[in-house]
Amino acid sequence: MTSLQAAFDADKIEIPLGQVHIVRDRCKGCGYCIKYCPREVLEVSEKPNDKGYYFPRVKDEDTCLNCGLCELICPEFAIWSTLTRYVKPKLIKEMVNESF
Amino acid sequence: MSSINVTAVSHNEQHPIDSFFHPNSMPSVWCPGCGIGTIVYTYVQAVKEMNVEPDKICVVSGIGCTGKIAEYLNFGSHEITDGNVIAYAANLAAKKQYMKVTLFTNNADFLVSSAKDFLEIGKTMANLLVIHNNNIIYCITENGAIPTTPFIRTSASNDFELPFNIPHLAKSSGAEYVARWTPLHAGWLKYSIIDALSKQALSVIEVVSPCVMFFTFTNKIGDAADQLRFYRDNSVMKQYEPTEHLDLRSKREVIIGKFVDKKEF
Ligand code: SF4
Ligand code: SF4
Repeated sequence: MTSLQAAFDADKIEIPLGQVHIVRDRCKGCGYCIKYCPREVLEVSEKPNDKGYYFPRVKDEDTCLNCGLCELICPEFAIWSTLTRYVKPKLIKEMVNESF
Repeated sequence: MSSINVTAVSHNEQHPIDSFFHPNSMPSVWCPGCGIGTIVYTYVQAVKEMNVEPDKICVVSGIGCTGKIAEYLNFGSHEITDGNVIAYAANLAAKKQYMKVTLFTNNADFLVSSAKDFLEIGKTMANLLVIHNNNIIYCITENGAIPTTPFIRTSASNDFELPFNIPHLAKSSGAEYVARWTPLHAGWLKYSIIDALSKQALSVIEVVSPCVMFFTFTNKIGDAADQLRFYRDNSVMKQYEPTEHLDLRSKREVIIGKFVDKKEF
């Protein structure tokens, strides 16, 4: 999508936001969800879980797009995302104003 | 339990697909990053999206790590002894008690113990879906080369052997649907399973997946994510590629995609 199109149909577009759920003690720390999340939502936790694996935790809550990739590739059925709400994207005008 | 402050993370919720497993069967025995977990998730998700009653689906598995799948899944599940998986699954499919019989195999019980049965079921048009987890190694014996290991190696008489070509075997024995994916192509894999589940004939899906403990670590490839990235970077999608070209030879890309899809009988 070019920036011009975004300006034209921005009022019709809504971006989904997701919430990530993790079963902490089921995770085996393979790192797939952390490395392959397209929005880099997750990071490695500081402390291990009860099994001794470093599980993922959410770095920035508002960046998850509920794409479901982490849920799809997790080999341990430990992580999934749910849709929370839709947000309007910022208009070009606002972005330009913000950057000055 | 130690208190760790984590935003937006809950600890003891039920995963949406937990109802498809036997109660208290999780966590699984598979190693961190094993491809089998992704295969099971995509399979369950495919069944969920097709809205099939769980008792209309039958899951058969054999020995080794892949054999655990039938132990965990709460469908009509059968875990079979070595050497009989394909014959057993074909018999089950012939009884027409289930909508679809799915057989999860690995290199040991598919290529070694019961490949002869596979050559026969193609002719009988068994209503069977074979999901083959090809991790190019025998998990337990650690350093044994196997029929699909993608290195040029020599037999005892110093002859070259090329790796075994599973899609070609499947096509030549009459499968109506043949595809190959890796765990990182899980979205494609899911739709492939949906396609195959809705067919009334033999379908074969090969998943080239990492064996973390015995392949990735012993060959010093890195960790599980590195091997998955290796598969992703070295795979090309070629739909309807002639199956003769599909062996996993070393220094050649992994060709993924759907190779055979016979629409009509
Ligand atoms: S749902 Fe998508 S964006 Fe959200 S954490 Fe998972 S992979 Fe990242
Ligand atoms: S993919 Fe699953 S098992 Fe691997 S680190 Fe993420 S939550 Fe843990």
